[in-house]
Amino acid sequence: MTRLLKPSRRTVLQTGLAGSAAIAFGPSRLALAQVQEVKVALIAPLSGPWARQGALKKMGADLAIKHINAEGGIKSLGGAKLKLVVMDAGDSAEKAKNAAQRLVSSEPDVVAGVGSWLSSFSLAITEVTERAELPWLTLSYSDQLTLRGFKNVFQTSLPASFMAGETMTTALNLAEKETGKRPKTISVINDNTASPVAFTKDLRAGGLEKMGLKVVSDDVFTPPLADATPLVQKLRSARPELLLMLPTALSDYKLLLEKMNEFGLSKGRLPVVSNGAPLGTPEILNLLGKDLLEGLIFSIANWPGKGQEMLEEEFKKETGEPWLSQDPLCSYGHIMVMREAIELAGKADRKAVGDAMRKLDTKGGSGRFFPGGNGGMKFDEKGRRVGAEIVFVQWQGGVPVTVFPEAAAVKKPIWVKK
Amino acid sequence: MQRQSADIPGASPEHTNQGKPAKAWLWPLIGFTIGYLALVAVVRNQYYQLMLTLVPVWATLGISWNILSGYSGLVSFGHAAFFGLGAYTLTILFVSFGITPWIGIFGAGAVGALAGLVIGYPTFRLRGHYFALSMLAYPLALLYVFEWLGYQEVSLPMRRDAPAAYMQFSDNRVYTLIALAMMIAALLVSLRIERSRFGMSLLAIKQNEIAAEAAGIDTFSWKLKAIVVSGMIAGAIGGFYAVVLLVVTPPSVFGMLTSAQALIMALFGGVGAAWGPVIGAAVLIPLTEILHAELGDKLPGIQGVVLGVSIILIILFAPEGILWKVRDMLRRRRGTDDRTTSAGPRLAPPDVGTSAVPARAGPRADAPVMLEVQGLSKSYGGLKAVQNVSFVVREGEILGIIGPNGAGKTTLFNLLNGITRADVGKVRFAGQDIFGLSANSICRLGIGRTFQVVRPFPRLTVLENVVIGAFVATRSDDEAYVQARKALVRVGMEGDADLLAGGLTTKQLRLLELARALAGDPKLLLLDETLAGLGSDAVEDMLGVIRRVAADGTTIVIIEHTMHAMVRLADRFVVLDHGTVLAEGAPEAVTRDPGVIEAYLGKKWSAHARA
Repeated sequence: MTRLLKPSRRTVLQTGLAGSAAIAFGPSRLALAQVQEVKVALIAPLSGPWARQGALKKMGADLAIKHINAEGGIKSLGGAKLKLVVMDAGDSAEKAKNAAQRLVSSEPDVVAGVGSWLSSFSLAITEVTERAELPWLTLSYSDQLTLRGFKNVFQTSLPASFMAGETMTTALNLAEKETGKRPKTISVINDNTASPVAFTKDLRAGGLEKMGLKVVSDDVFTPPLADATPLVQKLRSARPELLLMLPTALSDYKLLLEKMNEFGLSKGRLPVVSNGAPLGTPEILNLLGKDLLEGLIFSIANWPGKGQEMLEEEFKKETGEPWLSQDPLCSYGHIMVMREAIELAGKADRKAVGDAMRKLDTKGGSGRFFPGGNGGMKFDEKGRRVGAEIVFVQWQGGVPVTVFPEAAAVKKPIWVKK
Repeated sequence: MQRQSADIPGASPEHTNQGKPAKAWLWPLIGFTIGYLALVAVVRNQYYQLMLTLVPVWATLGISWNILSGYSGLVSFGHAAFFGLGAYTLTILFVSFGITPWIGIFGAGAVGALAGLVIGYPTFRLRGHYFALSMLAYPLALLYVFEWLGYQEVSLPMRRDAPAAYMQFSDNRVYTLIALAMMIAALLVSLRIERSRFGMSLLAIKQNEIAAEAAGIDTFSWKLKAIVVSGMIAGAIGGFYAVVLLVVTPPSVFGMLTSAQALIMALFGGVGAAWGPVIGAAVLIPLTEILHAELGDKLPGIQGVVLGVSIILIILFAPEGILWKVRDMLRRRRGTDDRTTSAGPRLAPPDVGTSAVPARAGPRADAPVMLEVQGLSKSYGGLKAVQNVSFVVREGEILGIIGPNGAGKTTLFNLLNGITRADVGKVRFAGQDIFGLSANSICRLGIGRTFQVVRPFPRLTVLENVVIGAFVATRSDDEAYVQARKALVRVGMEGDADLLAGGLTTKQLRLLELARALAGDPKLLLLDETLAGLGSDAVEDMLGVIRRVAADGTTIVIIEHTMHAMVRLADRFVVLDHGTVLAEGAPEAVTRDPGVIEAYLGKKWSAHARA
């Protein structure tokens, strides 16, 4: 494959943009490391239904670039500045893939990249970046991303199949700790879109029973809901001690939570555990209001905790966002991972950066921006972050705060004692 | 009949239906292919190579849409169903069974074709908007089915051991070549359809489904064939799309956008023209991408606005697509005078005046019965449109069916040729019971029919409009064209064969309609108000033509209002009033019948007549 790729890449280089020409033939200062600028890429949905998430991701990445350059750039490259190349992944996997193809063709000197939020987009993008041997970071949860035998895909989140088990075990532990009693019964409600189905697959196939949970009701619906009454009615008569609720659309959250409120199951009376990034957004607060959300617990790949107060404050000031959430925090962290890999590689070359990424083993650096792993950053042979954990976030008083792991917890979890 | 088998200009098989030398259609295809290959050879940038692959992919889906919807006019909002099934077929065969996409593509095509059959069979019961809307439902339903089946995100595994055997190439140009080959194959199918009775039959359906049925076209089976072919192409290209994208998700292949893409390519480029979707894709895919690349990261979303506006403008200024607009403009520029020269002097068909009409004796009294109608009735709720009607038509006769407005004349015709099913009664044609048969099978048996409202296909020539009626009586298309030319000679329009039907006068349209019915070589011809709306000279000409057709041995039943013309034309009258037979007999006797006069003119005049 590489042999076939080479000639075309060389020609691309020759016909490349003025920017790359400037680097190649620019002021001939001698040393190898005389690069003035190193390009890294972000492919994110900046238009279409996921544009908001893309914008958030860009905010995080921009802030990281600003910090790195203010601290003197890449030291091993003589203080070369980092530059972010942004491409729009649009609203479909095809457009995301096109963007990746455009990136590798028209920006041959990009050394690493990150994107693109939705796991189907990330799957499509990495098919391109892998073939171009461009190291690629992703926050997407899908297991498949790192099961294809790719060498250049690096996943910082705990993969979905582990996330489900972790979420349930952690929830049970939290409940036991807070109430002194481990829940024995559970109800499951989820829609039939990709991530909830993947999330519940193993749980349904005996996973919950193994945790000593009896499933008293189990419903899968096709979004959007027209009326949540039947689902919640069933829930009330099933009387579970815990509810695993995984809708995708905000409107479905609203319908379900409103109906639960009506039936007297809200405000933690029936503890609700959920999962995913949409639950921590300011939009959901605007739509549902703080009362409906109060007590809702969700697991997520990343959330700012103890030690990130400064970053959060700066982010809020810089962007006007009410809080720092998973998406900007991850892209901030991803750029920091890239910095470490480029520093280690000592070369502005994607293959060298890829090698460095595989060898990376740092403590107290970029790992601080991701949960678990003892604050370190290291990838296993699949490209998965070693020791990745999940974060539990709970809505308390109109703000989503980290309640687990304890090391990062900003507040104690609220669990209503019966 | 023997008279017409003499020399007919241009009826030899070397001439194809467009009147151009054979294979003329091949040159644009060869030119396009060479040009595209040159582009593939030159372009080195992998991103542009990907664009070069996506253009033929979406063009092929557009062609598939066009084969069903462009030609037949049955708009499908659901081509994503075939596309997605193809994509998933290939993916599942690969992922779960290890079957290479080289074979998977054929599997995808087969599943697409099968889906066409399964979807088409029930859905063709619906027409117009109802058809379009129910087509919309299939991909939406399939989207949820595939989510339910657990195929939310399936990615095609990378086969490092034998990449080429699994359609995985590091050189993107190979994908472009495969896509191009698939597009050319689809284009050839489309061109073949366009130029054969398949395409003409679909056009006839688009123009007027009932008339097509009455012209002996088995509309249901042609529609079904069209959706099967269309589904096959969409399925195969959907399969290939999975190979290009390497990840299949229900929204990416069954989504509304995919169906819309198929439709937009054809609408933009040219509806009902094989090249239309190719033009659409060649303009729109790069345009969308350029907008996306140039504006997407600066003003997110603006690319959609620009694209939307440009599509709206195209629809406003070229409602049938760029291709037709350009073709019309070119035709207008160079064609103004050749149309007048060809049309002008021939407006009065030669040899048609009353003077030239061969003397025609009426049928002999013992001529065998051709059509026998007994006790035919049809009610719509409380309205008895046709009530217990019985009459016979003898071979070689011209029978006039007259009656005031609303007497049930057209309904009677609809019952006779199977467009409407009668409640009770018996209809025997040439000794065979034809009650309850479909319109196309009745036409096949030899009953032709014209309609009151003539709706020709304006962009087709007179000959092409007429040939639609000839398919029923012929096996090969060449034969059909010979037959159509004969029919034009019979109505005296042989000189107008190459005119576009869009520019015809009312009289020419009536003659065209008559020729179309004659092209099927009917034994019995039902003429519905053929003289309506014609000036007195034109009526005379038309009477001559009808008499001559009768003299050639075709039995005729004609509905008409214009009494004075009918008296001179018909051998015998059947008078209908309020759905029942009021009188029957020779014209002189019937016109003196007080009951008839009363029905036509009211009581006052019938008193006059008696006096």
